[in-house]
This record gives sequence, C-alpha cells and structure tokens, in this order.
Amino acid sequence: MSKIKILHMYADMLDLYGDSGNMEILKYRCSKRNIECIIDKYSIGDDMPYFPEYDMIYIGGGADLEQQHISSDLVKCRGGIKKAYKNGSFLFLICGGYQLMGKYYRDADGNEIKGLGLFDYFTVAPSSRKKRCIGNIVVNTEITGNPVKVVGFENHGGQTQGVKTPFGSVLYGNGNCSKSDAEGYFEKNVIATYLHGPMLAKNPEISDYMISYCINRRSDTHIKLTKLNDKLEKDCRRVMLERLLNK
Amino acid sequence: MKKLLILLGKIIIKVLHLFHRNAGNLPGIILWHLSKQRCCSIFKVDCPIIAVTGTNGKTSVTNCIAQLFEKSGKKVIINREGNNLDTGICSLLLRHCDMSGNVKADYLILETDESHVPVVYSQMRLETLVVLNFFRDQLDRNGEMETLIKKINSFCRAFDGNLVLNGDDPNTARLGLANPKNERKIRYFNAERYKFATDKTFEASEGHFCPFCSEPLEYEYYQYSHIGKFICKKCGFGDYEPYITASNIDLEKPVFTANRHEYSPKLNSIYNIYNMTAVAAVGKLYRIKPEIIEDVISNYTVNNGRMENFMLGDRKTTLNLAKNPVGANMTLRVMNEMNGDKELLFVLNDNVADGLDVSWIWDINFSIFERVTRVVTSGTRAYDIAVRIKCSGYDPSKITVCPDLDEAVAELARTEGRKFVIANYTAVQPTRQALKRYSENGGKNNE
Ligand SMILES: [Zn+2]
Repeated sequence: MSKIKILHMYADMLDLYGDSGNMEILKYRCSKRNIECIIDKYSIGDDMPYFPEYDMIYIGGGADLEQQHISSDLVKCRGGIKKAYKNGSFLFLICGGYQLMGKYYRDADGNEIKGLGLFDYFTVAPSSRKKRCIGNIVVNTEITGNPVKVVGFENHGGQTQGVKTPFGSVLYGNGNCSKSDAEGYFEKNVIATYLHGPMLAKNPEISDYMISYCINRRSDTHIKLTKLNDKLEKDCRRVMLERLLNK
Repeated sequence: MKKLLILLGKIIIKVLHLFHRNAGNLPGIILWHLSKQRCCSIFKVDCPIIAVTGTNGKTSVTNCIAQLFEKSGKKVIINREGNNLDTGICSLLLRHCDMSGNVKADYLILETDESHVPVVYSQMRLETLVVLNFFRDQLDRNGEMETLIKKINSFCRAFDGNLVLNGDDPNTARLGLANPKNERKIRYFNAERYKFATDKTFEASEGHFCPFCSEPLEYEYYQYSHIGKFICKKCGFGDYEPYITASNIDLEKPVFTANRHEYSPKLNSIYNIYNMTAVAAVGKLYRIKPEIIEDVISNYTVNNGRMENFMLGDRKTTLNLAKNPVGANMTLRVMNEMNGDKELLFVLNDNVADGLDVSWIWDINFSIFERVTRVVTSGTRAYDIAVRIKCSGYDPSKITVCPDLDEAVAELARTEGRKFVIANYTAVQPTRQALKRYSENGGKNNE
C-alpha cells in the first residue's frame, strides 16, 4: 500500500475560504485508492518537525493579523522547509502561504513582513484596503500535460510580482495582480496560488497531479492512479465555466 | 435644511405608496446622498435608543426586546424587516417622525448591522448597545473580521452608555475593556456548559489569541464554534463578573435558568439560549417585570425560515436558515440529537447578499451525520454542496442534485421519513415558498 505524509502548517490560524477542505479532499481521494494519507499538523508552540520526511507541506491563507502572527514562527522553519523542498517534497501554498514563500509581503500600512525567500517573487498590498481582487476565477493550467480549466475563488489585496513560471493563465478574474494574465507560481513540486474555494473542490486533476507526484517521487517505477468517479466535481465545474466564460 | 430633507423624504414615501411600492430603503438612500452621508442626523430623538448588533441572532433578539417594552405598555419603534443599515434606519424614522423630524416613542429598538454601529450612533445618542457575537461572515462587504471589531472597539472607547456583551465570545467580550471609565455600565451575559459542549473545537473559529497580549486563549469548554468559557492566562482577559448566566440548560425540554427564573423557550438550540439570555439581561437592566420577561422568552418563535416547520404531505419538515457554518452546524446538531432516520435538503445560493462565495460550506462538519439516509441539493451552487458532502465521506449514490427548487422539494418529499432543510441567506425565502407550494398543492404543482 502506498503512503503519503502531509504536513499541514498553521491549520488553526490560516484557514480562509475553506482552505482546510483541500486536506479533506486529498485524504478522500487517497482513501478511495487505498493510499494511506497521514496529515500531521504543525502550529506555533509545537515541536519543530523534521520537514524532509513529508511528501507534501501545505499552508493556507489567513487574514493579515493571523499572517503577522505566524510569520516570525515561519522564519524559524525556513531551513527545514528549504531542505524538504530541495529534496523534492511538494509545496502546496494558498494565498498567504504563497505570499510568505516569496521575498517579502508589504501590507496596506507599509509594514514589511519578511518572506522565506524560497522564490524570487514579492507581494505588495495597495494602500487602500478597499482595492481587493475578489470573486470567482478561472485559470487555464497545463501542469498535468493537458489543459485544465481550474475554477476557484480569489480574495486578496496583495499584488504578487516577479513570477517567471506561473501556475496558469487567467481566463476570468484577476490572478497575481489586479486584472493580470498570470496566476500563481509553479514548479514540478510547487503549486502556489491565490485560489480558495477550496482550490481542489472542483479540480480533481490537480489533486491527482499532487497525489501522483507524492507516491512516485521516491520510486523508479511509475504507479498510475486508478480513476475515480468525478461526475459531481466535473458537473460542478462545468456549471461554473458555463456561467463565467459564456457571457 | 433638515426640515427640507424630512419634507422631501416624506414626499418620496407618499409617491412610492401611490405606485403601491413598499418604500423600503429608497428614501433613506436618497437622503443619504443629500445629507452628506449623515442621513440619521436629521431626526430629533428624545427617547432612549437600544441597539442590537452581532453576526447571528440580531433579528430575534431585537424583536424580543421590543416585546419586553410593548408588553410593559410602552410605545416602541423597531426596524422589523431587518433594514439595519443607516439608510434603512433613516427610512424607518422618516415614517415615524413629524414634519420637524421629532420622533415620538418611548423606546427605539434598532437592529443594527455590525459595520454600521459607529456610523449610525455618531449621529444619534445611543443608550444601550447589545453585542451578541462576531463570526466570520460576509467578509466581502465588511473587510476582514479584525477591521470590523476594531471599528466597533473604537466606537466603544468613547461610548458611555450601557454595553450588554456576550462574555463567552472573546470577540465581543473584549469591547468591555475599551472604555475603562465606563466599567460600571458593562454587563456580560454568558452560559454554563451544556450537554453538547466540547473540550476542543471542531468547527471553524476565530478568537485564537488574546486581543490584549497575543497569548493563545485557553478554553475550559466550547459550546459551539468559538463561543465558550475562555481565559487568557497571561493578562486575565475573560475573568469578569457575569451580570446574568444561563444555567441548567436542557435542550431536550428545552429549559434553562437565568437570574433565578426558569425559562422554557420554544426553540431548542444553544444558539437560542444565548439570544434569550441577552434578552433576559436587557429585561433585568430595564427592570421589566419578571412575568413579562418569562412570557416573551417562553413564547418567542419565528416564521422566517429559522427552525420553521412544514408538512410535506404527512412528512414533517424543518427549515433552518444558515448564513454561515455556525448556523449549519447548529442544524446538523439538532438533526443528530433527534433519533431515527432523516433526510436533508441543502439549498445553496451565491448571490451578492450571500457574499458571492460558498467556500464556508467546507467549514461545516458533515462527518457527524448520523442516520441521514439521503441528501438532496439545490440552489445556484447545488453541485458545490453536493461535492462538499461527498468529500466528507458520505456515499455519493445517496446524493441527488436538483438545481430547480420545486423539483428538489418534490424529490425530498418522494420518500417517507423526517426531513430537514438548510438554506442559506438568499435561498431561504424561495425555499419557504417552494415548501409552501408543495404542501398546499399536495405535490401536484407540475404546471
Ligand atoms: Zn491576554
């Protein structure tokens, strides 16, 4: 039986717009295939975990206040997260988690929160709190080898710049910056995105991309995932795509 | 100038009436523009104003407080339809004032939107503010939760009237420390541990940290969501003398004790116990006769989709509004606390007033489902809620998606057994109507 170990960081603080649902979905899709999915949690005050033992590290999004609270703790984890990433652990990052892996995040009042600097991008929030990118979003991504239209919900003030390898192109909504063409950040073992909803709810291909990566990352033979019945998920996405794209 | 605005407002109401339109918010919106956005400042109110705010329960508590005074023989003005923004309150007062803007009543009881408390009561003198709870809700309109609380907190810093606060919600209890000079006018209500309280929270929550010293808050128990007995071990936040406490809570009867009286409310949720304790607190504060308080609390029931009962043929059906995970989890608890098989219809919309976003359904704890034999989903996001329930581990072959509401109700009524319906904000009225249509036509409404 295959096994995946996930570290869900700051689950008690960074959980906007259903972000914890992503863990529930991954666990569900693993259980349907008899893949053991262990999800450990780490938050402020817990013992420092050994990051490289995890196949995936997951961080969700939070309000500014919560983000400030965790940022100094996150800095302590920098070495461990970096090592895990270099060893091929998957980094799955939503909104705040996405922002904090870049160089810095400057909030609406001009306070700079230092990021972990794993990646080159940086994020600046406009001084007006009212200028936020809010709403449904459709992103076309080719990470699985085939084009997939991913549907989610974005709500962020921060404008992320300096991304060279985005997760996908925006078909509807804003993306990294207000009305931008690109959304998120991607490497073969990194998906960083502004999509909430949760992101995986109606996009089973993305879940399976990550599960497949995790169970195969250490082996020479490629284990193919068994197909699941995703009718509800795909109907769900179809309804939204028809509504958002066929105007 | 003020008189001119009032004259104009009254004319607008008259004209709307001529066209058989309900005036609603419109006069207030027009005056808002003409009064440099201070549309509540044009009235002269001499009577005490009591305002009720918070995320959940405003309407119920406002209505009950109004009844306390009405049954004591007082003339009360209240915004019954939930017109709770400055423009809605302005429209209400326009209808009740004379041509000089004098509002004649013994009490004004005003449900007030969380984000509008500072706006409205910088224009009119407030005597008592009741704050029920703050949950993550309607984030899109109000900005983040913390911003909202800060706004109300800075209002409370200069407020010298009575503050009636939910002491079991750190988000509201903190307001009691905003103005230390006003200490003797701060009253906390709270509730003792009830049967379904937990040592840990399994539901989405806020208030993880002490707002004063940033230490994690410690809870003795959680009643629901982040409501419970909390304390900051570092600075002592949470250690207060309650003004009134609900104790001996038994939801099966239902019954609870507060201020040495036993009350038997009609609605059996912990949610309602908190609301009714707030009502009892206001009753105590205004020295309302004990028998009147008891009368109001034990007779209060609602016909607006909040635990409202319908008969679909011979099948008993309970509809409950859920604007957020807290409300939905509440209904699931009530379902679970009831024996026997049951079926659920969940109606989910994503209109503007719903906040456009539906991801809050992922904070509903469906894994607690007990003896739920079938689920029907409907609304503009019928598929989203179906996927949500499926991923909680519920057998997808028992889920039927019917985006059309009449079809969904017919589908629900097709089988025997006890039925529950959860509908979110904009879904609740259409759902009531669909349930009524079905029960009146006995299922023969297929035109
Ligand atoms: Zn403290």
